[in-house]
Amino acid sequence: MRITETMTVQDKLNILSDAAKYDVACTSSGTSRHGDGTGMGNCELTGICHSFSADGRCISLLKILFTNECIFDCKYCINRSSNDVPRASFTPDEVCRLVMEFYRRNYIEGLFLSSGVMKSPTYTMELIYAALYKLRHECNFQGYIHVKAIPGASQDLIAKVGFLADRMSVNLELPTAESLKLLAPHKTRKNILTPMRLVQNAAIQNKQEIALYRNAPRFVPAGQSTQMIIGATPESDYQILNVAESLYKKFDLKRVFYSAFIHVNEDASLPARRQEGPPLLREHRLYQADWLLRYYEFEAQELLSEDNPNFNVLLDPKCNWALKHLEYFPVEVNRADYHMLLRVPGIGYKSATRIVKARRLGVLNFADLKKIGVVLKRALYFLTCSGKMMYSTRIEEDYITRNLLNVKEKLPAGVAGMTYKQLSLFDDVNFRKEQFVVHEGNREAPIESLLG
Amino acid sequence: MKKMLICNDNVTGIFSAIYEAWKTERDEDNAGIVLRGNMEQELFCEYIEVEETEKKALAVEHLIKKHLGSQAYLDIYQAVLAHDKDKVNAIFGTMLAARKIADSTKIMNHLSHRSVEKVFELSRQVGGEAHQFKGFLRFKELDNGVLFAQIEPKSQVLTCIAGHFSDRLPLENFMIYDRTHNMFLVHQAKSQWVLVWGEQINMEKLNKVSQAQKEYECLWKAFCKSISIKERENARLQKQNLPLRYRQDIVEFQQ
Repeated sequence: MRITETMTVQDKLNILSDAAKYDVACTSSGTSRHGDGTGMGNCELTGICHSFSADGRCISLLKILFTNECIFDCKYCINRSSNDVPRASFTPDEVCRLVMEFYRRNYIEGLFLSSGVMKSPTYTMELIYAALYKLRHECNFQGYIHVKAIPGASQDLIAKVGFLADRMSVNLELPTAESLKLLAPHKTRKNILTPMRLVQNAAIQNKQEIALYRNAPRFVPAGQSTQMIIGATPESDYQILNVAESLYKKFDLKRVFYSAFIHVNEDASLPARRQEGPPLLREHRLYQADWLLRYYEFEAQELLSEDNPNFNVLLDPKCNWALKHLEYFPVEVNRADYHMLLRVPGIGYKSATRIVKARRLGVLNFADLKKIGVVLKRALYFLTCSGKMMYSTRIEEDYITRNLLNVKEKLPAGVAGMTYKQLSLFDDVNFRKEQFVVHEGNREAPIESLLG
Repeated sequence: MKKMLICNDNVTGIFSAIYEAWKTERDEDNAGIVLRGNMEQELFCEYIEVEETEKKALAVEHLIKKHLGSQAYLDIYQAVLAHDKDKVNAIFGTMLAARKIADSTKIMNHLSHRSVEKVFELSRQVGGEAHQFKGFLRFKELDNGVLFAQIEPKSQVLTCIAGHFSDRLPLENFMIYDRTHNMFLVHQAKSQWVLVWGEQINMEKLNKVSQAQKEYECLWKAFCKSISIKERENARLQKQNLPLRYRQDIVEFQQ
């Protein structure tokens, strides 16, 4: 470890923002709050993006680690204790000053505070609490705060921090317990899920308090989220999606974030370094499926299965589902119920709502659908307006697949630029099998069983 | 003969013209509204200048709120601010269409109507642009402690973002300058915001920033650089999310 004696705030910010960049979830959504007039800040329900970094990701919050002097040795992490990287720690004062001055100039929407584990989880959590307390009560900051709960920290402390933050998250790190054991030897699944359950229960209790006393303090009003690394271990998309689904159902999570694995360390237990870069398309497909779970009433079982455990490289999960279930189509726009409209490729949840409202006032045709925001080049194979399809098409899987592949899917820039060879990379995850044995029997031990 | 009303491109002007059209003709075929400076003269039309008064504007605002509801008023208000030469006729058409349906407060759902669809689209455009500026606007601290920002929006978004920033920075003196429409939003600490137009500003004074400003600009630029992941670098995605037209006033994109 390098010992640096005097460090300016600039040096610390460089080190600790660089160390935090692998954390995803720079969102500021999910809570709406007016300023009380005594300090600075408010929150907008939809969240606000303030800038975009060179990798195209949004910068909404000041995303920093409190410290990267970490005692843990997680193999995928740049800050693992055995790495020789410059180390630094903020003081609560420095964090407050940066947040207030950046916020004042409208650079940021709030603070995203994560941390390496310094001395012990509880010690680290105390430092975080001190920083947030100062920010909320001395600086009167009312903007957005997203804070990481450090697994293993004292329960009281986590609960106290929750009253200062808008969103709390505990990193799941890796999709299964086996992977975690292999790559993050100091962390256990139980240690991660315990604070997650704690936050969930505290939030439920808080809801009742608010129902009784309108002005009761709010506990993580923007809910709880988590993130996991994709592509460092050989789980299938089906397993990952199942984990996400159970997190939504059993832990009331607001969001699950997926982060494509990026090689920062050389370690025998990590997958071999390849030319292609992080599996971005896979990450994209998982996010698409994640939206289907949260907004489109789909279940993981419908999208993937044991026999067909990975996403289609060429088609998005919704199109893929529709092609396998042509018996439901075509759907009549002027009559079909909302839940069925949601399942039509090319109709989003906003356009579905608009369709339901607009058809009460008049019969809709294809031109109207286009104005409403339906993507007709995809939807036209699955829809009728007043009993007529847009063109004469056959309801046949091969025919529609061929046509859908002809219209380019609108992938995010960059992901779309990947060549076919690169697209196929995650079909063939090149793991060195002898190092990683997945026990078929208890492969996906249900999450809740770990907590008893 | 068709009556064409000429009005100024601001909220009071447009609402005054709608007031006149509503009072006299109440029919899209016999009355049209054009914006001053944006006229394409048509044959067989009578052109009339509209007298712009606060009273007419308030009457129209009241009319819309009462019969179409406050949500529809918000959509119409945002459409008024849009940069579009046919916006006024679309708004007038929407108000006329509302008379023909059973529940006039549901008018904004009637998306298969041409005018309603246009108002909806314009409102979305303006709302979207205002939302962008809530994020992309950058204040700099002048040497007298005032926060100053400049923007160059397509539509007149200042009144859409005024409430947001006043609520957010109640204890600050700040000013936002809209270069396109030469308007200012001025907020004095602990008081209401005001909209000012037709004034000249002293650019020299506004270029004198405080010492701390330079320091925080440096810190912020360094942060924006270090937060990006090299392996994922993607200038196209960045451009898609943050179009170039916004960047001229964003500090981290300035050399």
